[in-house]
Amino acid sequence: MPTTEPPRRDTLAGYLLLAPSLVGVGGFLLLPVVAVLGISLARWDLVSPARWTGLDNYRAILTDPAFGRSLAVTAGFVLLVLPLQTALGLLVALLLDRRLPGSTWFRAILVLPWISAPLALGVVWRWLLDPADGAVDQLLGHRIEWLTSPVLALPAVAAVTVWTNVGYVALFFLAGLAGVPPQYSEAARIDGAGPWQGFRRVTLPLLRPTTFFVLVTGVISSFQVFDTVYAMTRGGPAGRTEVVAYAIYREAFVDYRMGRAAAMSVVLFLLLTAVTIAQRSYFRGRTTYEVG
Amino acid sequence: MRRAVFTYLALGVAAVLILAPYLMSVQTSLKTPGQFAQRPPLAPPRPPTGANYAELLVGGHSLIPPLVITVQVVLVVVIGQLTSSVLAAYAFARLDFPGRDAIFRVYLATLMVPAVAVLVPRFVLLGAAGLADTFWGIVLPSMFGSPYAIFLLRQFFRALPRELLDAARLDGAGHLRVLRHVVLPLSRPILATLLIITVVTHWNDFLWPLVVTSGVRWQVLTVAVAALQSQYNGDWTLVMAATTLATLPLLVLFVIFQKHLVRSITVTGMR
Repeated sequence: MPTTEPPRRDTLAGYLLLAPSLVGVGGFLLLPVVAVLGISLARWDLVSPARWTGLDNYRAILTDPAFGRSLAVTAGFVLLVLPLQTALGLLVALLLDRRLPGSTWFRAILVLPWISAPLALGVVWRWLLDPADGAVDQLLGHRIEWLTSPVLALPAVAAVTVWTNVGYVALFFLAGLAGVPPQYSEAARIDGAGPWQGFRRVTLPLLRPTTFFVLVTGVISSFQVFDTVYAMTRGGPAGRTEVVAYAIYREAFVDYRMGRAAAMSVVLFLLLTAVTIAQRSYFRGRTTYEVG
Repeated sequence: MRRAVFTYLALGVAAVLILAPYLMSVQTSLKTPGQFAQRPPLAPPRPPTGANYAELLVGGHSLIPPLVITVQVVLVVVIGQLTSSVLAAYAFARLDFPGRDAIFRVYLATLMVPAVAVLVPRFVLLGAAGLADTFWGIVLPSMFGSPYAIFLLRQFFRALPRELLDAARLDGAGHLRVLRHVVLPLSRPILATLLIITVVTHWNDFLWPLVVTSGVRWQVLTVAVAALQSQYNGDWTLVMAATTLATLPLLVLFVIFQKHLVRSITVTGMR
């Protein structure tokens, strides 16, 4: 009987098999995390030698109104994108879950933007929203400066992001809905609950794990949005769409201030970690229902 | 009945909203700049022209070199990442060696590292190694396995019937043989899933190639499209042909593998 054999130790084999991924995780994730901390403590333009400046970069970015603005822009972006894409994704999933003939076609169409490069989609929308040559303003019969207006630019970029993500989010809710046993909503209906009540009291609580997943991944990706901003506005007008990822890119690869860019990266890292932990404890604190 | 009508109506509106930008960009790509300037943006091309596509395929702004580089990048990353991840996941799931669980916890912890936060140090480290603006500079960070793929594969490998693997081991098969002849054939679904997700992610990747390459020599498709757009700002017919060409290959793949891809997304939740 194989199970009664004493456990073999496979130290050499184990480490040989791990070797490639140790290079990957060590060299391209752990080492960069250490390096970003080091770089953030120096003043460096990639050309002249780096100069140790302690916490100066942190002091500089935290008192720089531009960085404060880019944090606010990012927060605004996340707050626009997250509720909209989650609610619309759920709505679309509920519609698809009725499984009418042809549903799979709709599902396929709705996922299309997810497999297209965000950069390419951003370029397409930049044209669509162009006030002189674009299709949107022609349809509206009204000239609106979507991407150069300080008020409309961020909502426009957020709307395009929502447009891209809705089908993708809907897929997760669809998978979650497939795990909701029909007897549950049946029972609610027999007890006299209307469709809305049944949804609120039965379906939604059962979807909690899915909702958690969709929100966590949504926060992480929208916090890091870059391609869409690069394609549509390059952070403009006057920084109104300069999200943190774009600010880091500009500091490092346009202005060559590596130290400041590194300090911003560390702040982004800490913020995202804090948000993820907060979300986790929020969802853990609420009842989850075992399904199945 | 009314419910069905409402459902179709709502889904129809959503489908139109999703498809319209694609159709409008294709329509614009079939116009000459003259037609585009003289008639409203929504007017159909009359007559349709293939001049923009000819320019991007055989003309002065050929997207063929970026296409070739993108294909190479995706191939190297996919092969490297899947191989490294499979090996690591097998070790974590099936072998017993000191430090295994501690290392696995470190791998899991790296899932918390946002890609944007390691952009600067990765560039600095690869630059110091003389790999900025090279092919290897583009692929190295992602070709040695991804913690998330390792995590998913490990879960899958652990669920495989233990007796099967032990029997093969008792017959004298080494780990690599067991992996190749027993584990991998049983793991086709998860491997196909990871394959699809990795192809989509790296075909569409933009920020890293943008940062690590500087000239036209190693431009991938997304970077080439962005460069074309800033160079020909306003020449939307050419730019729309470029975005169409850049998104088309994956759309074709999607139509072929639709069912599988939809399932893959929900299995991994990866972006």
